[in-house]
Amino acid sequence: MANSSASLKEYGRDLRTPRGPVDIPFLMLTLLLLTIGVVMVLSASYASAYYDLNNETNGNATYYFARQLFFALLGIVIMLVASRLPMSFYRRFSFAVLAVAIVLLMAVLVIGTKSHGARRWILIAGISLQPSEIAKIGVILYFSVLICRYKNLMGTFKYGVAPFGIILLVIIGLLALEPHLSASIIIILIGAIMMFVGGARLFWFIGGGIGVAGMLFIALNVLQYSADRISAWRDPFADSGDTGYQIVQSLYAIGSGGLFGLGLGQSRQKYLYLPEEHNDFIFSVICEELGFIGAGLILSLFALLIVRGYWLAMHCRDRYSFLVCVGITSLLAIQVILNVAVCTNLIPCTGISLPFFSYGGTALLMQMAEMGIILSVSRDIPDARTD
Amino acid sequence: MANQKKKNPSYNGPNSMMLRRTLFLLAVCGIVAFVVLGARLFKLQIIDHEKYESEAIEQQVRDTIVNAARGTIYDTNMKILAMSASVDDVFISPKEIKLYGDDPLVIANGLAEILGIESQPILDKMSDTDSWYKTVAKKVEPEISDKIREFVKENDIKGVHLEENTKRYYPYSSLASHVIGFVGMENKGLAGIENYYDDTLTGINGRVVRAKNAAGTDMLFTTFEDYYDAKDGNDVVLTVDSTIQYYVEKSLEQAVRDYDVQNGAAAIAMDVNTGAVLAMASLGNFDLNNYQIVSDDARAIIDAEENEEQKAELLYKAQQLQWRNKALSDTYEPGSTFKIITLAMALNEGVVSRESSYFCGGSVEVLGRNDPVKCWKAGGHGSQNLTQSLQHSCNVAFVNIGLKVGAERFYDYCEAFGFFDASDDTSRTLTGTTGIDLRGESGSIWWSRDTFCNPDNKSQLAAASFGQTFNITPLQLITAVSACCNGGNLMQPYIVKEIIDPDGNTVSRTEPTVVRQVISEETSKTVCEMLEQVVGDKVEGTGKNAYVAGYRIGGKTGTSTNTTVEATTGKKQYIVSFIGVAPMDDPQIAVLVLLDCPSNETGIYISGGRMGAPTVGAILADVLPYMGIEPKYTSDEEQTVDRSVPKVTGLESNEAMTKLQGEGFTYRVIGDGGVVTAQIPAANSIVAAQSQIIIYCGAEPSTDLETVPDLTGTTYSIARQTLGSYALYVRASGPITDPTAIVVAKQSIAAGTQVEHGTVIEVTVTDNSQQGRY
Repeated sequence: MANSSASLKEYGRDLRTPRGPVDIPFLMLTLLLLTIGVVMVLSASYASAYYDLNNETNGNATYYFARQLFFALLGIVIMLVASRLPMSFYRRFSFAVLAVAIVLLMAVLVIGTKSHGARRWILIAGISLQPSEIAKIGVILYFSVLICRYKNLMGTFKYGVAPFGIILLVIIGLLALEPHLSASIIIILIGAIMMFVGGARLFWFIGGGIGVAGMLFIALNVLQYSADRISAWRDPFADSGDTGYQIVQSLYAIGSGGLFGLGLGQSRQKYLYLPEEHNDFIFSVICEELGFIGAGLILSLFALLIVRGYWLAMHCRDRYSFLVCVGITSLLAIQVILNVAVCTNLIPCTGISLPFFSYGGTALLMQMAEMGIILSVSRDIPDARTD
Repeated sequence: MANQKKKNPSYNGPNSMMLRRTLFLLAVCGIVAFVVLGARLFKLQIIDHEKYESEAIEQQVRDTIVNAARGTIYDTNMKILAMSASVDDVFISPKEIKLYGDDPLVIANGLAEILGIESQPILDKMSDTDSWYKTVAKKVEPEISDKIREFVKENDIKGVHLEENTKRYYPYSSLASHVIGFVGMENKGLAGIENYYDDTLTGINGRVVRAKNAAGTDMLFTTFEDYYDAKDGNDVVLTVDSTIQYYVEKSLEQAVRDYDVQNGAAAIAMDVNTGAVLAMASLGNFDLNNYQIVSDDARAIIDAEENEEQKAELLYKAQQLQWRNKALSDTYEPGSTFKIITLAMALNEGVVSRESSYFCGGSVEVLGRNDPVKCWKAGGHGSQNLTQSLQHSCNVAFVNIGLKVGAERFYDYCEAFGFFDASDDTSRTLTGTTGIDLRGESGSIWWSRDTFCNPDNKSQLAAASFGQTFNITPLQLITAVSACCNGGNLMQPYIVKEIIDPDGNTVSRTEPTVVRQVISEETSKTVCEMLEQVVGDKVEGTGKNAYVAGYRIGGKTGTSTNTTVEATTGKKQYIVSFIGVAPMDDPQIAVLVLLDCPSNETGIYISGGRMGAPTVGAILADVLPYMGIEPKYTSDEEQTVDRSVPKVTGLESNEAMTKLQGEGFTYRVIGDGGVVTAQIPAANSIVAAQSQIIIYCGAEPSTDLETVPDLTGTTYSIARQTLGSYALYVRASGPITDPTAIVVAKQSIAAGTQVEHGTVIEVTVTDNSQQGRY
């Protein structure tokens, strides 16, 4: 108790200590993407909300938009709050976040909401959220703590690999029970990136890569479910009515956008052709409505945001802040890249949402909090602009 | 700076390896990956844009066909023979039914009840839940559609739809069925005019291209819509006159009944001067509105068959038979009607004249034949001039005429008359058609020139002179005979005179086309005069049964063996025919009647003169007045022709007497009043001329009943006289050529029946003086 009250005092002092301003470019890029994202949710979700495919909108065409707008505004508040919390605060609670995530991952197996044969959602105090989302930030925060702790031992297996590996195995194991493949992939990647930046030896990644590839190979050859996805990826048009349906509809949307697109709100594919058009495949609607120019612009904004995130990280004076910043930026990058790669059929179909765009309240709040953390990091960088 | 960091022991920032690795991440995740994604988008959105766009549009648009209205078929007087009306096709969308949770059982039972069909097939169709479209019923009437709309609304059903279609209606049902033809389920013309002019009648279907969502309904708030207007089909106006067609069919049906014709009958009426077909009939005909339903007789045979396959086969054959246009599709040996052609060429070549004399001893020897050619009259016709030879239809005389023309010239004339098309290969059997604008015209079968013109064998020439050993269609014959009577021009026969667009503008009009002049005008005139003698001569004319009082009619009989029936069954069966032309001072119409295989059982002698001629006569008796050709009665005819009794009641008695006399009646006065108070028979009754009308001047007409006497076997004039004495009246159903020679065969009211005074008895007359297959 004494200890914790002392820390609280410490934070109080930190809060009072004048810190620098947040990084304006990063903030602006975030708000810009968020704004475009909310507008696109309105456009993309209009048809399915009108036809009430999921029996939740009552035919209110702006149902999804209104909710997303509310969460976006709430997200901005959370981001600003998060940006004001000092990094020592996050460091202090890093383990707690991971621990909560693991507890929730276990709880979701028992009390989670089952949908499409998987338990990924848990309802807490009226808010439904995915524990895997917390696990992602938990991994980033706690891995950063561990890396700081073993700063000179990261080259060893015992300290540089084993603890990380064990944590990842526990999380992946729990995710496999849901099951939740896309979250597993993201967490493995983010864990690997953290270890990579933390200083783990490169040959571990080679070994790990071979191991993951082997597991994937086995999984694909054993699980019919996955094998179908692979064949649908190779030639979606071979079975465009069934397994290839989503991806074919996505390609139609993207392809028919052309250079300038059909115009905002003019997507035709969103009229019940394209499934998940306001979630995982919202980028396809963007491509259809805004064309190569618009989609390219949005991708550029993402790229700028990511580059800015890394750039901020590289200017950190504090290793923990640096690691958290790299982690969150990488998480964002992975999600954007994988989502767009799925929409454009570069990789097999898996459910990864597009940050700031895909419909979903808790995920959006989480992303905004993460952006807030980076903004908090940015405040500790003295006069970054002149560096 | 970096050195500073390293040296500073309190420095807690990222080390240089971390920075390097972060820089690597920045390059990969922030730049390279996005370049790859951008390239991928470029490929999909720019390079493959058109491919994806077209495929996407294909699934996104609903192409609704707007049916062009099929054109109307009119007769020459713009009476509607075939027309289209809007109906609906009913289809279900099993996918929508599933999507919106409609109750399949309710739908199936409801539709089954409204449409009067089984519900199980509908349920089966509904089980294919991937389908958006399953047809339940086609071409349902508007009343049924309304019921379905109501049913859909009441039960809030989403998956049942109606789609506009058109249905063909034929107001005259079976009239001219073979000419008009019919359309199939897809509104495609399958026979007759419907088929030949299908493109003209069909028009061009329009389209509405609308954006649809994946559920198949219209997309929200999109202006993505394209219209392609439907162009309605053009209307077709036939040369066929439905009234003439009706008269022709009526008389032809009567003939088929009277003579128990086994193998169908055909008739064509043609405008001799233009080649326009005024009527074309083929029996038995069928109801165009139910063209697949076969006659009761055929149905009975099919029903008797057990084997399903055989049943289907029989049905198919029966349908093909009933759809066959005999006047166009069947070829036959014309027989003696062809003598007109032989006569025409002989006159035109000047190898014969009216004064030429021919002796018929009953047969004639022909080079190349083992047995002599026999005349139909066993004892021969003796000595006769050209007109008499034609009147007698003497085979011997015509063999001699044909031989005089010579094979080469004969052959050339036949070609000129359009019986076949020439070929460079003189050893080949030839064929030819008239090229009329109707589907299903068969080609003739004609000798090769080498065979026909063989100087060592005249048998083909001899037989051809009286119309045997070759096959032509009835249409070819009437076209050629028209040429013989119209001044010598072979006309292109046609059946569509005009095509008009939906706004009423003429698109095209068929002008009568002269194919070639075959004989001189003078020859044609002579032929006409001689043909009139065949019908008009009440003593020698073999065609006298075709005579219609008051008209100048020419014609020629024909009786030939049905070689097809003979070849298949071995039985000798005949095709009897008659071709009539009228009026002979200015020929306008030709009528050919052909009766295939009349029965031996009727007791009527099988010949063109006994069966064909009266049928043509009956047709002309109806058609000529309709065409506005005024009858000119001879004084003899004044005595026999049926006429309408004038109204004399209320007139002064002497006024009434003058009036009756003036209209060709005799009269008897009962009572002594000055004014006519009653008359028998009633005004406007049709009775024979010279019938005695009873006028009552003050006296009450008798209400006694009279017993009808037996008239059969008595001559027409005796019958009239006998009935007159009972205050009964007679009327003839056929032409009266000679009231003292023709006898009553049938009477409409049986002998012994009690009837009122003034009753008119209709009698069927026959001329028993004629025997022989000419």
